Amino acid sequence: MNIDFQERKIPIIKIRDFLIVSIQVDMHDKMAVQLQSQILHEIERTGAKGVLIDISVLEMVDSFIGRMLSGMASMASIMDAAVVIVGMQPAVAITLVELGLEMPGINTALNMERGMELLEKMVKDSL
Amino acid sequence: MEEQIKFENAAKRIEHIEDVLSSVAAGDLEVRVESDIEDDLTGIEEAINILIDDLTYELKQSKKIKEELEEKLKKIQEQQKTILQQQEDLLELSSPVTKVWDNILILPVIGTLDSQRTQIMMENLLQKIVETGCTNAILDITGVPTVDTQVANHLLKTVTAARLLGADCIISGISPAIAQTIVHLGIDLSAIRTKATLQDAMLFAMKKNNQLVNGKIQVNKIEPEETDK
Repeated sequence: MNIDFQERKIPIIKIRDFLIVSIQVDMHDKMAVQLQSQILHEIERTGAKGVLIDISVLEMVDSFIGRMLSGMASMASIMDAAVVIVGMQPAVAITLVELGLEMPGINTALNMERGMELLEKMVKDSL
Repeated sequence: MEEQIKFENAAKRIEHIEDVLSSVAAGDLEVRVESDIEDDLTGIEEAINILIDDLTYELKQSKKIKEELEEKLKKIQEQQKTILQQQEDLLELSSPVTKVWDNILILPVIGTLDSQRTQIMMENLLQKIVETGCTNAILDITGVPTVDTQVANHLLKTVTAARLLGADCIISGISPAIAQTIVHLGIDLSAIRTKATLQDAMLFAMKKNNQLVNGKIQVNKIEPEETDK
């Protein structure tokens, strides 16, 4: 079971200057930590300017995952890559706010398309 | 004139009393102790009869009361149901979220806010944001008479949750009384965009969407805000 979890990695897709991460399974803590380093390594390897994280299928985000996501945004911004989180579900947003995790400094968008626009704009601004 | 108890009769009569008592215990309240002879046992027999009468009366009374209470309970339960139904209806009615323009949602709030209502408001607003894909929401609180710490906190939460979804939330129509309360309570609303009236909020949102150029409405033209100025 453990081996199975470790082997199942979340795919990171590179399109032009951006990395696209679509989280399709419910995350557990180990996977979140792994994803964080995976994305950071991928940013280094590809020199991507932006990361788009789609969490539209995540039904539940706990404080750990929330912190992981906001931590990743600040880490990526130090590495000169913007992070946009797209497709958060209303229930998830309510949970995060109730937990007091308001994720300041994180950019969000309603869907992939708008997220892409925002990312392009942010990258253009930072040049 | 009382006769002496005759032993052979007494045994029989005691047996009869026992029979009567056991049938009363079994629920038959019609039986009575019958006796033709008057002696020392008669007093006991009569006392038993009186007790049975009393018991019958009391049972009837309690049965009646029970029926009445049950009826009342039924009525109360029905009323309770109606009240709950109406409360639900009221909550549904009290937080309408509508799309007023391309990319702009509006949520007018009227009446006093409590935590339950703000919770439902928040859920409705977020649901609607996802459904319509609108990225601007205006929360108009012109019709809210007062605000306390909790409600202000809920408003903040609503705006933050909308931001997490990727939508911008503007609060409009803050009355002088509310402004005073908020400042006195020491709540920091600086992170939230506030506008004086609904009109101002609408104009702001439309300008942001580039739907308004030189005071003229541009139809069918929604583009995100231009930043290279």
